[in-house]
Amino acid sequence: MPNQKSPENAVVPAGRLPRRNVLTAAGAAAALPLLGRRARAADPIRIGWVGPLSPPGGYAEGTNMKNAAALAAEEVNAHGGVLGRPVEITYADTRGMPAEGRTAAERLVQEDKVVAVFGEFHSPVALAEMEVFHKYGIPFMACDVWSDQITAKGYPEVFRNAPAVSLIDVAIGQWMVAAGFKNVAIIAEKDDVGLSARTIVQQELTNAGVKFTAVDADPNLTDFTAQILRFKSASPAYDFFISIYAEAGAYPMIRQSHDLGFAPTPGCGIYNSGGESVDPTFWQNVGEAGKYLVTENVGLPKAAWTDKTKAFVAEYHKRYNADPSGAVMESYDGGGLLFDAIRRAGSTDAKAIIHALETTNYAGVRGQYSFSTSHEPAWHYHQFLNAPLTLLQYAETNQGQADAPIVWPRKFATVPYLYKKPGAA
Amino acid sequence: MASRPGMRDDARGLMADYLLIQALNGLTVGIIYAVIAAGLTVIFSILKIVNFAHGEFYMMGGYFSYFAIALFGIPPLLAVVAAMLVSFALSIVAERTLLTPLYSPTTERKGDYGILVTFGISIFLRNIALIIYGPYPLRPPSFFSGALIAGPLIMTWDRVFAGGAGILLLIALVWFMQRTPWGEALNAVSQSRESAAIVGIDDQRFYMLAFGLGGALAGGAGALVGPIYSLSPSMGLIPDTQAFAIVILGGMGSVSGSILAGLLIGVSESMFVALFPDPSRSLTYAQAFSLVILMIVLLVRPTGLFGRVHTSMD
Amino acid sequence: MRPLSWCGGVVLAAAMLSFPFIVNGYWLSVGVLAMFYAIVTASWALLAGYAGQFSFGHMAFVSLGAYTSGLLVKWFGIPVPLGIAAGVAMCAVVGSGVGFVGLRMRGPYLALFTVAFSEVLRIIFVSEVEITGGSGGLEVAPLFHTRSDMPAYYTGVVLLAASLAIMLALVASRWGLFFRAIRENEDAAAAAGVKVLRFRVLAFAIASAFAGLGGGFFGHYIGILTPDIGSVDQMGLVVAMAVIGGAESILAATLGALGLEFLVEALRSYGQWRLVLFGALLLLTMRFARNGLLALAWQQMQRLDRLRRMTRLAAGAGE
Repeated sequence: MPNQKSPENAVVPAGRLPRRNVLTAAGAAAALPLLGRRARAADPIRIGWVGPLSPPGGYAEGTNMKNAAALAAEEVNAHGGVLGRPVEITYADTRGMPAEGRTAAERLVQEDKVVAVFGEFHSPVALAEMEVFHKYGIPFMACDVWSDQITAKGYPEVFRNAPAVSLIDVAIGQWMVAAGFKNVAIIAEKDDVGLSARTIVQQELTNAGVKFTAVDADPNLTDFTAQILRFKSASPAYDFFISIYAEAGAYPMIRQSHDLGFAPTPGCGIYNSGGESVDPTFWQNVGEAGKYLVTENVGLPKAAWTDKTKAFVAEYHKRYNADPSGAVMESYDGGGLLFDAIRRAGSTDAKAIIHALETTNYAGVRGQYSFSTSHEPAWHYHQFLNAPLTLLQYAETNQGQADAPIVWPRKFATVPYLYKKPGAA
Repeated sequence: MASRPGMRDDARGLMADYLLIQALNGLTVGIIYAVIAAGLTVIFSILKIVNFAHGEFYMMGGYFSYFAIALFGIPPLLAVVAAMLVSFALSIVAERTLLTPLYSPTTERKGDYGILVTFGISIFLRNIALIIYGPYPLRPPSFFSGALIAGPLIMTWDRVFAGGAGILLLIALVWFMQRTPWGEALNAVSQSRESAAIVGIDDQRFYMLAFGLGGALAGGAGALVGPIYSLSPSMGLIPDTQAFAIVILGGMGSVSGSILAGLLIGVSESMFVALFPDPSRSLTYAQAFSLVILMIVLLVRPTGLFGRVHTSMD
Repeated sequence: MRPLSWCGGVVLAAAMLSFPFIVNGYWLSVGVLAMFYAIVTASWALLAGYAGQFSFGHMAFVSLGAYTSGLLVKWFGIPVPLGIAAGVAMCAVVGSGVGFVGLRMRGPYLALFTVAFSEVLRIIFVSEVEITGGSGGLEVAPLFHTRSDMPAYYTGVVLLAASLAIMLALVASRWGLFFRAIRENEDAAAAAGVKVLRFRVLAFAIASAFAGLGGGFFGHYIGILTPDIGSVDQMGLVVAMAVIGGAESILAATLGALGLEFLVEALRSYGQWRLVLFGALLLLTMRFARNGLLALAWQQMQRLDRLRRMTRLAAGAGE
């Protein structure tokens, strides 16, 4: 039975080392390898995780993110926990509804007595949760929520390790302009992500004088044939088709677009933002239509993978037989960031954690993290400004996301071209 | 379009082609709608209830087909049949356990009962599907790969097959209802329970048959569209409301009405998306299209195109 | 049994009033939501259970009330209570419209019509993004700017009590008789001289107004509105609450809502299974306890009471 007082905590009076203490310390130290470096059955550190695990939320990706969080907790506990205490994560299904988010937040703070929370996938839900965390002063590491508002509100408790809309869709827009597309067809999902993404992309295109037509679609749709046919028959013809669509309909949309000969073709390219191409059933659903598809990855490009990234990808692949998406990595790192902050704070006091988060310099699977403290512009506050983002284009069917050629930003590009047309050499 | 001399005919030709393709596409979608709606109508005619769980039977059918192929290695074509059989069985189980109060004289306000119970079934099935089948969309393998290309028309063989199989199912249904003793008996029951009882047709087996048949049709439709739309637990929500609109338009209690109305709505929806002036809203309001039709028909001509006056079960 | 029901009522009232002092902030927030669901469920029970008008569009009025209030407050800066009142008025008007227009529709037809109406409204709210913020959410001015949910909770209690008082008074009056007559057999009621049109419209107007009240309260409490609140799934939740509690009695439906909201929260750790359980409970109740579980419990209590009295009588006679 390990004794309660660990050797590190044993108080040694200055100058004097009583023999008993030394012996105890030596004995404990000697026994340590035998005990294995497992966290003791001490008072666990409770951390909350929020996200959609059932409809109407995006439960597929939410489930992935939850798995990543669980993995993070498991790993940290296998290495002694945080501050010598095991980490215990309480998962709250917020179902993509703000009311659920708010109730879940209250429960996590009041019932489960968490010291910090991370996660979430839907911006309106995060906005509702934030109010509760702000009320109680509990730190919140927002993961895959992109609305600028989340950091722009300036709540000291709120941090975000994902890019803001202002970061992501600017990149997409810039790439489209650089790749020389002149007339773009857009289908966007009618929810928070689709809307804000579409707005930013449209802005970029407008600034560069690129023409576009945007169509909004209900998240439950699976038949886009009529709309795609309408696009196809338009004159002048579209040379690019981007869908900002994460729900179940994303796959049929890509497939239908291909089957109808609309995109990808030598004359028209295709992009999908949000439809997780790392889901285990992506290629089953999309088949040949996935070749030449351009999509984004909010994880690190393979060339920049650290050992930590590689280890995580390998473990995730082993357990779930799929590549981790950017959101999954965000969730995993979200946990890591909180553990790191608590360690540096030396306590679970909320203010101490927040202070520690502000001085973060943490190596996660998505690179080196730090958070801005500037309020100019408002959304910079507590935002991870160097959030990685790459655009990739699949070159083969059944290609893993990590192996797909990267086309943007150019500093990470693994191929000389910006966009490869089907049929080109 | 910029105009050039001689462009007029081209433009018109292109427009005609475009509309034709949209119409053909709408037709195949409409056939599938018709199959679903026909099932709903059969249930309504005989049991006199609106089956609010119909979309979920459609969804389950799709999944049954998927697992028949994935777990038992049944070829896709046979899997559709298997899915229909399992849907038939599942529907009968639901009917026996939950719907028998509809036939008892002590149950008040049977219409309300039917609505609430089928509503409950839909909630139950949708959420259980989520737990069993998991959150990722699944796609059963194609029936036939490749596409039919005829001039400007491109349609995947899967779609062509779904349309063709749907037509076969509808023909089979009509033949069953009009040419077989069981079907004729069902017809008799749907017209008047009392008269049918007098002639000696008053067997709860007919209710089982009707509900099973309706569920089998919905399940078959789900199995047919699996490769086209992919499967997800909430895929039944939209076809559910479409089916209601179709059944109302065609007239509750008329199978041929549902078929016609299904085709009509399928084509009109495609045309709506094709032609609605504001392209950014065409998709979203296309969904409201069938719902608005439903409301208008209920207001103006509740019996629909071919329906009989609603006779309540009490 | 009357002393028992009075006792129960007093206990319940005491519990509700002292609730914020017994529980922590989390359960208090659940309590606020329970008040919301109670108002909505009670008004649905009035419309569908009592007056027999099977409307599945109730949640559409909830969202209409919420968006009306939220937008008016946002655009014109009027005080929140006024916004909520405006929402109530809007719902009463539109509700009367639906009641009027649905006049010739019975049973399943009315249900389908109202489902369609509800979905169309939801699609509009989702589509007209510039106005409503669509699925990105509409930020709505809060009712109270306090850290604690207590003011919101007590407001909810007051609103619920007032709503119930009005609804129960209605039901106890002659109008209540007319509603029941229409429910049982519309033609017979008409033949007996009941002005069916007027009372159908009235039932819709009143019930929708209360739904709008609930919606306004909900919107300004949560602070961010999404069109999901008007979805068919939410309607299913309310229906389940009413049926399980007892759709034909407004009080039973209210208790059903309160109980189920707390139950749903208590079962949170079961995740997805909660809703499966809900659906199953709805089915079982419909199948075996059509008048709701409260009626069932009441019956059992009465049976026990009779048994008790009989044994006491027998014991007394034996002496």
